[in-house]
Amino acid sequence: MMSEENGTPLLRVRNLGTGYGDLRVVWDVSLDVRPGRLTVLLGRNGAGKTTTLRAVSGLNKAVAGTVELDGRDVTRLAPHQRVRLGMAYVQEGKRVFHRQTVEQNLLLGGYTLKMRRAALREEIQRIYELFPVLGEKRGLLAGSMSGGQQQMLAIGQALMARPKLLLLDEPSGGLAPAIVSEVMERIGQLKETGLGILLVEQAVEASVRVADQVAVIDMGRVVVSASADEVDDLGVLRDAYFGRGGREAASG
Amino acid sequence: MTLWRSLRSIPSWIVPLCAGVVVLLLPVLGLDFSTGRQIQLACILALLVSGLNLSHGYAGELALGQAAMYAAGAYTAGLLSKAGHTDILLQFVLAAAVALVVGLVSGIPGLRLGGWSLAMTSFFLVLLVPDILAVFAEWTGGRNGLSGVMPPTLLGADLAGDAYYWVVAGVTLAWFAIMRNLIVSRHGVAFRVLKKSPVLASSMGISVFRMKLLAYAVGAVPAGLAGALFVNLDLYVSPEAFGFVTAVTVLAASILGGSASVYGALLGAAIMQFGPNQASEFQEYALVFTGVFLIAGGVLLKGGLAGLCRRLVSRLDRAAGVTTAARNVSADVPDIAGATLAIDGVSKTFGGNQALKGVSLAARPGKVTALIGPNGSGKTTLLNMVCGFYRTDSGTITIGDTALQGLPPHRVARAGVARTFQTPNIPEGVTVLEAVSSGRYSGHRASVFSAILRLPGFRRVRTDDLVEAERALALVGMSDLRDAEATSLPLGMRRLLEVARALAARPGVLLLDEVASGLDEDEVERLAGLVRRIREAGGTIVLVEHNFRLVLDLADEIVVLAHGSVIATGPPEVIERNPRVLSEYLGIDGESAEGRAKVAELTGGGEITGTGESA
Amino acid sequence: MTLIWGGLALGAVYALVAIGYNIVFISSKTFNFAQAQLMMVGTFVAYTGLVTLRLPVFVVALMAVAAVFLVAAIEERVAIRPVKEPEAVLVTTLGASMLLDGVTQLIWGPQPLTVPFFGSDDVMSLFGGQVYPVEIALILLTVVIVVALSLLARRTLLGLALLGMAEDREAAMLRGVNVRRLAFGAFAFTGALAGLLGLFVGPKTFAVATLGASLALKGFVVVAIGGFGSIPGTLVGGVIVGLVEALAARYLGSEYANISVFAVLVVILMARPSGLFVRTQERTV
Repeated sequence: MMSEENGTPLLRVRNLGTGYGDLRVVWDVSLDVRPGRLTVLLGRNGAGKTTTLRAVSGLNKAVAGTVELDGRDVTRLAPHQRVRLGMAYVQEGKRVFHRQTVEQNLLLGGYTLKMRRAALREEIQRIYELFPVLGEKRGLLAGSMSGGQQQMLAIGQALMARPKLLLLDEPSGGLAPAIVSEVMERIGQLKETGLGILLVEQAVEASVRVADQVAVIDMGRVVVSASADEVDDLGVLRDAYFGRGGREAASG
Repeated sequence: MTLWRSLRSIPSWIVPLCAGVVVLLLPVLGLDFSTGRQIQLACILALLVSGLNLSHGYAGELALGQAAMYAAGAYTAGLLSKAGHTDILLQFVLAAAVALVVGLVSGIPGLRLGGWSLAMTSFFLVLLVPDILAVFAEWTGGRNGLSGVMPPTLLGADLAGDAYYWVVAGVTLAWFAIMRNLIVSRHGVAFRVLKKSPVLASSMGISVFRMKLLAYAVGAVPAGLAGALFVNLDLYVSPEAFGFVTAVTVLAASILGGSASVYGALLGAAIMQFGPNQASEFQEYALVFTGVFLIAGGVLLKGGLAGLCRRLVSRLDRAAGVTTAARNVSADVPDIAGATLAIDGVSKTFGGNQALKGVSLAARPGKVTALIGPNGSGKTTLLNMVCGFYRTDSGTITIGDTALQGLPPHRVARAGVARTFQTPNIPEGVTVLEAVSSGRYSGHRASVFSAILRLPGFRRVRTDDLVEAERALALVGMSDLRDAEATSLPLGMRRLLEVARALAARPGVLLLDEVASGLDEDEVERLAGLVRRIREAGGTIVLVEHNFRLVLDLADEIVVLAHGSVIATGPPEVIERNPRVLSEYLGIDGESAEGRAKVAELTGGGEITGTGESA
Repeated sequence: MTLIWGGLALGAVYALVAIGYNIVFISSKTFNFAQAQLMMVGTFVAYTGLVTLRLPVFVVALMAVAAVFLVAAIEERVAIRPVKEPEAVLVTTLGASMLLDGVTQLIWGPQPLTVPFFGSDDVMSLFGGQVYPVEIALILLTVVIVVALSLLARRTLLGLALLGMAEDREAAMLRGVNVRRLAFGAFAFTGALAGLLGLFVGPKTFAVATLGASLALKGFVVVAIGGFGSIPGTLVGGVIVGLVEALAARYLGSEYANISVFAVLVVILMARPSGLFVRTQERTV
C-alpha cells in the first residue's frame, strides 16, 4: 500500500493499536511521513485520527505496533522525550496557554532548546517573520486572540522547538473558510523548509491540495493509502467515509 | 475446596452474626476488665467509623465531622444523665437526634463544596469542638470536662459491669445489622451511584441534594449512639476525647478497614484500638504508629482489609468453581410505552457563542431517530439540554404532554427520559444485576425505613426490581454475567449494561449517546439487533452516533446538525444523497461553483438546494 | 494597632503555609497536608542550630533548608508518588504529618522551645503599636515571597512551564516539559522554603510539636479564601484570617477566635466556592 520513495521515512508507524484504558479505538494503523513531505490522515469523526496522533506523540500508550522517528524506535518514550527528539504536536482545539501572553507561549515553546534568553528571542523573531500577526500581538494574552490567530500561535509554539516532524490536528477546525485556505497555505510553505508533516483534517479538499500522501482511516484501520495525485477523484474518499466500499455507484 | 463450596452456600450474613454472638458471650467465658474495656472502646470506634463509611465510602462525601457528632451525642447523653434522665434508651434517642442535627449542619457546606474543601471545613468543625464547649462552659464544664454523670439504667435496672458490656456490644451488633440492610438494598446502590457521579445519579432520577442529606443524616446516627455509650462508660467526658487525634483515628480506621464496606469498620476499629491506641500508653509512639499506618494503608491497601478479603474470596471462588446458576428468564421485550419527544425551536448561547439555533425535531414511539453531525455541531449540547443539564434560552422540549425545559435533571429522568453515556458510567462495588436494577430506583419507591427492617413493601419492590432487571439483562444477552462485578466488564459489555439499566426504567424515551463507539463488529451487530427489538416493542429511541453505517442501517429518520442548526431531516436514503450533508462531512465548500460541481458529481447530478431541507 | 500588628504577623505565618500548599497544588493538583509540619521541622532545626549548637545564622539557614528539603523529597517519593487516587493522598499526607509530629516529639520533646530571632528581640513602636522585629520581618518576608514568586512565575522559563503545567498538563508535556520531574522539584522546593522559614516562624510561634496541626488548618483556610492555586490570594487570605482571629480573640474572647474564622470561611466559600481570586468554572457534563 505504501508508495515507494527513496530514503528512510522521518516517521514510520507500523500496525499501531491504541485507545483509552480498555477502550480500543485504533486497531491497525500504518503510515509514513517523509522529510519535506505532507501526509494527510482523513476519516469521519470517531474514526481514530486524533487517537492515532496521540499515540504517535506518546500521550496514549501504544498497545500494539511501533512508532519510529528518524529510524529510532520511540514507541516506549514519554511525550517530552519525543519532543526533544524533534517531534512537535499541535493538538486540536488551538490548545495554547490562554493565561499567558503570545510571547510567553512562544518562550515556553522553546523550553527544550536550553538556550539563553537572548538566543531564544532570536528564535522568536523567526516565528514572528513567519506569522507577522503574532509579532503585532506579542504582549496580548493568548486567550484574547481570535481563533485563527490562536491556531497560528499554536503552530508557532510548536515550531519554536525546531522540530523535524510536525503533527497537526485539525488546524482548520472552527475557522472560517477564508482563514482555512490561509492556514493551509502556511502549512504548504512549512514543508518547503524540509519539515515532515502529518496532518489530520476534516476539510478534505483543502488538505488534499497540499498533501503528498493520503491515508483514510475508518473504525481504527487504514482503509485507503495512496499518493495525493491518485485520489484526485473524491469519490474514493466519499466511499471510504460512508463505508460503502464502492458497492454502490453514485447515481440519481 | 468442597469445604469452601459448602461454606459459600450459607448466607453471607451468618458469619458476622456468629462473630457478634461470640463477642456478646465473651464475659460469660471470663473476660478481664481491661480487655473488656478495650472491646467496648473498639465497638464505640467502630460505630463512628461506620458512619464515616456510609457518607464517604458509599456516598463519596469526604465529610470528616464524625468527631463533632460524637461529641454532640456524648454531651447530650451526659447532660441528660446529670438532669436525672439515666435511662439509656432515652439517651440514645436524644443523642442520635442531636448528632443528626449536627451532621446535617456540618454537611451543608458539602452541598456546594466538594473534595478538599468539604474535608477541610468538616475537619475544622472538629477542632472547634473545645471552643464551642468553652462557650457553653456553664453547662458543659468547658475544658474541665463534664463530671457528675450518673450510672446508666435500662428500664429502671442498673447497668453495670457485664450488663453495660452487653448494651455496648448489642447496640453495635444492631447498628451493623441496620447498616448491612441499608447497604444491601436499592438505597445502598443509589449511594454508590452518587459516589460514582452526581451527573449519573441525576440522570437516573436520583435527587443529588436529597441523597447527600440522607447520607449525612444516617451517618450521624451511629456517632450519636457512640457518644452516648462513651459517656456512660466512664461517667465523665472532656473535650480532649473529641479532638484532632480522634478524627484522624476514625479516618485511619475507615481507610484501613476499607471505607466502602460494612464490616470493614469493625476490622479497622479493632486494628486501631488494639494497635496504635494501645501504644497510647507509650504516648510518644502513638503518633508515629498512626502516621505509619496511614501512609502504609493509603499506599498499599486499595479498598482496605475488606477489599483484601473480597479479593481473597473471589479467588477462592474461582479455584473452587463456585458459580451461581443463571436462571432461565424469557428474553421477550415487554411492550414499551414509548412517548413522543418533541424539541421545538430550541436555542442556546454560551458566552457569545451560539451553540444551538432554533433546533426542532420529533422522535416518535416505535422509531429510531438518529442525530448526526460533525464535531462541535451541537449534538452533545442538545442532549444535555434534553436531560436538563443546561437551560434552554428559548424553545420547548416535551415528552408526551410534559414540558421538560426548566426541570432539573432528576425530574427529567422521572418524566421518562433514560440515557446512556459516551464513557460508560457505572458505580463501583456492585454486581451487574444491582447496576441494572438501579435503573428502577426513582420509578418505584421503597423507603429507607422499610429497607432497614425488610418490611413487606420493600420485599415486594425488591422482587419486582430483580424480575425486571433479569429481563433487561436477558434482553441484552448478559444473564450469565448477573453476579459479576459491573465495573470489571470489558467496554462492550459495560455499554450493553448501560442500555439494560436504561431499559429497566421502562423509559418513554431512550437516548443512546455514541453507544457503538469502541465496540468491535460483533458487538455492534448485537447492539443493532437490540435496538431493533426495542423499536419493535414500541420504544422511542434517539441515537446520537458517529458510526455512519450503523445510522444508515438502523435509523428511520436522520436529523443532521451542523453549526448548531438542523441542516437536513429525512430517511437514510435521502440523507445519504443530500448535498449539504456531503459537503459538511467532506469539507467541500458548497458555495463556490467548483465545489458545487464536485458535489453534484458525487450525488449523481443532484443540485444543492438552498436549505438542504429534504424531509 | 498592637493588635493589628499581631494579627498581621499571625496571618503572615498562615500565608507562608498557604504558599506551600499552593505551589504543590499548582504543580501537581494535590494537597500536602504535611506542609505545616515541614515548617515545624524547620523551627526545630533552627532551634538546634541556634541554641544547642550555637552555629552562625547562615549555617543554620543552610542546615534547615537542606534538612527539610530532604524530608519533603522523601515524603513525595513515599507518601505521594505511589498513590493513585487524590483522596488517598489526603490520607497518606495526613499520615506523613502525624509521623512528623510524632518524630519531632520523640527527638525534641513535647515542651515548646524558644527560638531566638537572629535580628533583635526588643519591642519596637510603629504607627502607634507595639511590635516585635520578628513580626515585621514575617510580614515583609511574606510580601517579598509573594511578589518574588509571582515575578519568577511570569519571567522565567521554569515558572512559565509550571504555570503552563497547571493550566494544561498535556500541552505542557507536548512542549517538552518533564511534568513529573517538575512536580517533584516544586514539591521539594516548598520543603526547602519551609525550612528557611522555620528561622522566622519559630521566634513567633515557638518550636512545638503541635505547631503543625494548628498551622495546617489555618493555612488551608487561607488557601480556600484566597483561591486554590492563587499566590496573590494567599496574601489577602492571610490578612483576613490573621485579623479576624486576633480581633475576635480580643473583643469576643479567645474561645471565639476559631469560631469566627470558621464563620468567615463558610460565608466566603458559600458565596465563592473556589475562593476570592479564582473564577468558578462553569459546569461541564
